[in-house]
Amino acid sequence: MATRRILYFTAEDHYLYRSVGGALELEAKFTGDDLGLTAFRDFLRGQRGALFAVVADLAGEDFHEEQIPFVRGADREAVLSRRLAQRYRDTRLAAGLSLGQVAGAERRNERVLLTSFTNTQQLTPWLDALEEAGVRLSGVYSIPLLAPALASRLGVKDTRVLLVTANRAGLRQCYVENGRLRFARLERTVEMVPQALAMFVRSETQRLVQYLVTLRALPRDGSAVQVLVVAPPGERATFEQALASDARLLFRVVDYADAQQVAKLRRAPEGAAAEALFLHLAAHKPPAEQFASREDRRRYFIWQLQRGVVAAGVAGFALCALVGGSRWIEVMSLRGQVEDETHAARTATQQYERITSTFPVTQTSTENLKVTVVEFRRIAERSADPQRTFQHVSRVLEQYPQFELDSLRWGAGRPSELRDAPLKPAAQAAGGSDSLVLVEVSGRVQATQRNDYRGITAQVQRFANSLVGEGYELVRTQLPFDVTSEGILTGDIGGAAESGEAPRFTVTLARRLP
Amino acid sequence: MRFTREELKRLAFPLVLALAALGAGAALIWGAGGALRETQARLAVAQAERRAANERLARISEEEREVSEKIDVYQRLKRLNILGEEHRLEWADAITRIRAQRELLDLRYAVERQRQLFSAPGKPANVDFFASTMKVQLALLHEEDLLRFLADLRESGNAFYAVRRCDLTRTGQAATGATMTPRLRADCDIDLITIMDRAAKR
Repeated sequence: MATRRILYFTAEDHYLYRSVGGALELEAKFTGDDLGLTAFRDFLRGQRGALFAVVADLAGEDFHEEQIPFVRGADREAVLSRRLAQRYRDTRLAAGLSLGQVAGAERRNERVLLTSFTNTQQLTPWLDALEEAGVRLSGVYSIPLLAPALASRLGVKDTRVLLVTANRAGLRQCYVENGRLRFARLERTVEMVPQALAMFVRSETQRLVQYLVTLRALPRDGSAVQVLVVAPPGERATFEQALASDARLLFRVVDYADAQQVAKLRRAPEGAAAEALFLHLAAHKPPAEQFASREDRRRYFIWQLQRGVVAAGVAGFALCALVGGSRWIEVMSLRGQVEDETHAARTATQQYERITSTFPVTQTSTENLKVTVVEFRRIAERSADPQRTFQHVSRVLEQYPQFELDSLRWGAGRPSELRDAPLKPAAQAAGGSDSLVLVEVSGRVQATQRNDYRGITAQVQRFANSLVGEGYELVRTQLPFDVTSEGILTGDIGGAAESGEAPRFTVTLARRLP
Repeated sequence: MRFTREELKRLAFPLVLALAALGAGAALIWGAGGALRETQARLAVAQAERRAANERLARISEEEREVSEKIDVYQRLKRLNILGEEHRLEWADAITRIRAQRELLDLRYAVERQRQLFSAPGKPANVDFFASTMKVQLALLHEEDLLRFLADLRESGNAFYAVRRCDLTRTGQAATGATMTPRLRADCDIDLITIMDRAAKR
């Protein structure tokens, strides 16, 4: 974490603290005169780029409540700037704090607390020195601006509370309403015993309450106001004794050591009073409201932007790493599963090989043995022997002595694979793409007159029908003449020109193979 | 708010750093995504292999029965030289022997170039089926001669003989009595099928 330096600015002396972790260390002390300013400039010579904040603890701090129209963004800024310019001569160190909204009869307004120092000239040369040194100014705060944060840390839950602390600059009283600063004053103190300081606290608190009632910041007949007093170390009992609560004031005393613990300030510098609590908050939990202008804080803004950009990159990388990491975890888990699956497969394969090693010697792999035999059987089933066909045709021919064969065509295979061209149309007619045996029997009918169409037709049909059986189907019968209506039928009955040649026929059969 | 040149310079390095971090992050996600996809694919393969191995193991008794049932056929194919390279010289010898034994009048043949019928996927290697078509022309006294020729051919082994086509026609020549005149002519296509088991031990 970057080291932050806080310049505690009082009316007399200015203290430069260094905040490291939860500790606050006094680094230098400067007088409020020109000598102090020169020493401060000398100190800043080696501090270019260092982080600085200024916490002013001055008596002359003005608080003025106003109402502005409820607007946002640049409009609000413009309205506030105008109001600040109307109220303060020098607006370099002026701020407008929101006190919430009020709903009027006609329009909505915002309550704002305009605040600045009555004498900004005492601060200006020191701010100029910081600017010239090129340090990064995070903000200019006043103790009252930090009071709501401390009150919250100290566990204040009431709507109205007076926070009273004994600082190095004097007795600081801050009136916080609903967690927002409403008013503050600083009463200078001299060295006094705790008892006297407690009495002083009481009397000053009563005065302030009266003043706030006059201002109507506090209701005249309201309930008791809580007063939270941070007592010097070890003086809580003394303060509690002196600060008895009454109908108007309800005192609650917190020991400085307890407050330090609550504010998470591990170590405060020697001689520092309650302002250390505020300074620690300014270093670690600075409020958004402060006095420095945008230009005064420009280097700090750039520094924040640099860190923001890097932080965004780192956050993006972290997110990606998270997503990537989760994926890698998934990859690791899947790789484990892959190993398990591979191991299981290997085990099953080894077991399979162990068992198959007891099988008969095959001279090949089991898979190839099966493939070879199955495919060979398929080929064998689709092959046929002409002998069966010849025997079948011979048996039928014995019953038809008048039939004489000229040729016999035999083919086997799928219709597309048949090598005998004349058989192909018959194969198509037999249908499908199944393997089949096709037989085309061609011959002549003896001892029958060629003109005896009816007789020849009847004999050929009988012969063809006799060939059907034993798996054979009749595909086609071709007679020696055309008796269909589409053809031409001729005859020469009793003529002398009869050729004497026996009529020819063709019968085609098919048998399907498995 | 406008930035000066100096301020932009100051912001440049953090920007580069942030972009580099984002780039590294994106690369990390991309790399992890790629590894994840690859591992998922490997897992799918491993799961499929494991399932297949388990199924094969579960079927082992059936496989044992299949092996013992098929081993006889396989060994017979091997004995008949149907499994293995072609034996063209043996084919020629067989035809010559058959012609002489059966006293066939005329026998002409031509064995065409070997061609692959198909390749059956096996493991660890394929089983290829080849065929060489033999065209045979025979002069016959009787159709029985053709059937005997085919039967003898089958008996000779060295291939599986699948008859694809056979045309039987009369020659029309009249018997003279002095010499034997063929009465029939056969014209056949026979596929001589051989099997090449690439995984078989020689």
